[in-house]
Amino acid sequence: MNEPPKEPVKQIKAHMWLPYNYVAGDYKARFLRALKHKKILGSKCSKTGKVFVAPVMNSAESFAPANEFVEVADRGVITTFCIVNIPVIGRTLALPYACASVALDGADISIFTLIQECEAKNVRMGMRVEAVWKPDGEREGSWDDILHFRPTGEPDAPQASYINRL
Amino acid sequence: MSTLRNVAIVGFAQLPVVARDEHHVTTDMIYMAVRQALTNCGVEPGAIEYQISGSTDYTDGRPFGFAAALDAMGCWPPKQDLHLEMDAAFCVYYAWLRMQAGDCDTALVVGHGKTSEGDPNRVANLQLDPYYQAPIGLDLKSTAALQASAYMTRTGTTDRDLAAIAARNRTAGARNPDNQVRHAATAEELLQTPWDVEPLRTGYVPPIGESATCLIMATEEKASALCDRPVWIHGIDQRVEMQTLGARDLSRSASAQLAGQNACAMADLKGATEVDLLELFATTPVEELILCDALGIDPKTARPAINPSGGPLCAHPIMNTGLIRMGEVFRQLSGRADGRAVPGARRGIAHATQGHCLQHNLVCVLGTERRWS
Repeated sequence: MNEPPKEPVKQIKAHMWLPYNYVAGDYKARFLRALKHKKILGSKCSKTGKVFVAPVMNSAESFAPANEFVEVADRGVITTFCIVNIPVIGRTLALPYACASVALDGADISIFTLIQECEAKNVRMGMRVEAVWKPDGEREGSWDDILHFRPTGEPDAPQASYINRL
Repeated sequence: MSTLRNVAIVGFAQLPVVARDEHHVTTDMIYMAVRQALTNCGVEPGAIEYQISGSTDYTDGRPFGFAAALDAMGCWPPKQDLHLEMDAAFCVYYAWLRMQAGDCDTALVVGHGKTSEGDPNRVANLQLDPYYQAPIGLDLKSTAALQASAYMTRTGTTDRDLAAIAARNRTAGARNPDNQVRHAATAEELLQTPWDVEPLRTGYVPPIGESATCLIMATEEKASALCDRPVWIHGIDQRVEMQTLGARDLSRSASAQLAGQNACAMADLKGATEVDLLELFATTPVEELILCDALGIDPKTARPAINPSGGPLCAHPIMNTGLIRMGEVFRQLSGRADGRAVPGARRGIAHATQGHCLQHNLVCVLGTERRWS
């Protein structure tokens, strides 16, 4: 009884299992449904007129309701970006690739997205890009309905046009 | 007792407690509560100097989940902020401390917890030690039942006694439109409900709900501009006990007793019997009895009124339940309690707890008059 065990217990395993079932909410639900139809919705601040994508109930900045839904373009300008040179868990893209913050035309805040169909080294601030959607019939109302963004080939946007949307 | 700064509750808003709000994400719920509380005070967020929220990331399902709440709390231009992984009632204590230190004159307290998105009982289980208590599956109801058993054995309290207490809460709760459970029930009916975790019946424990709450506080210099009838903090104290369940007498609450004594002393009261109403964070009839014992209250007395809101048995939105006690006493003492008003109420006690088996207790004495002249 008082003999030390031959193989002392050094650790115990404790498994956690915490499933979550998130509510989309009326704002996100409308946004996600629109993606199925290749439309991107934002919500407009009732005080400042700023448009937020994805739509939110209120402006964090002005604290006024943002209760008017507006459609923004599925194209815009790269406001900042980074080049990924190391593998990321869950992603099998060829390295290196670019991730960028894209201010969609008509939106006052940026979304974060993957840039493909061009070499990472050519990605730059001011570059015009557009969404590449999943084909008709395959979109299901999910953020994954946009596969990635790619350059449009348009001339770069002047810095003044996006400097306040960084 | 030395003179302290007079601090008041000047506004409170909550979303009606529901099992699951399918239409709103957490930040929507917070925004609606904060917007309403600020509107009631007639100000914009810029009027508030300090903000503090109470929630748990295990409810949000992401680390630093509370940071998302900032977008819905009005913190632009940037503000001083604090988050507690505690029921939001404890935030009132910290805001009060900051005001005593002279750091701020106005504070916004937010509680939130979208409990339906996760599994609160699994979370409560993880709160216990991972070696002996968590692996056997103890959760909030089973530890509450252990406590109930201990109390009933020591005191001779019967199943019927518990049913009577639950019935009083349910009868009162039917008058509160913010409650999740809004139909009255008699002791006879509740005695017929099946065992949940024996000796607790399903009629003696609340469903877990969700809500968002916002309470606004101000010092004497600012209070009257924000509220026609501010409700003043006369005394406040909070005490915590050991985490290990076997290390303390579950049939008594030494921490509630001490917090109550200290809060009453600060309020210059002989005891809790001197107030007109109590809002107790009791999620079972046994917790109510233990808290009454700790505060020296006869649970059968008509005055002070106990849980005129219906108490947590009628609405238990985790992380908000304690702050609602504060909000309810504010409503009672500021003429905002509508159909559940306690006539002539001038002083009340709001109690909050957290942890298993009343581990941590806060007692706050509130009154219609300023405490210090």
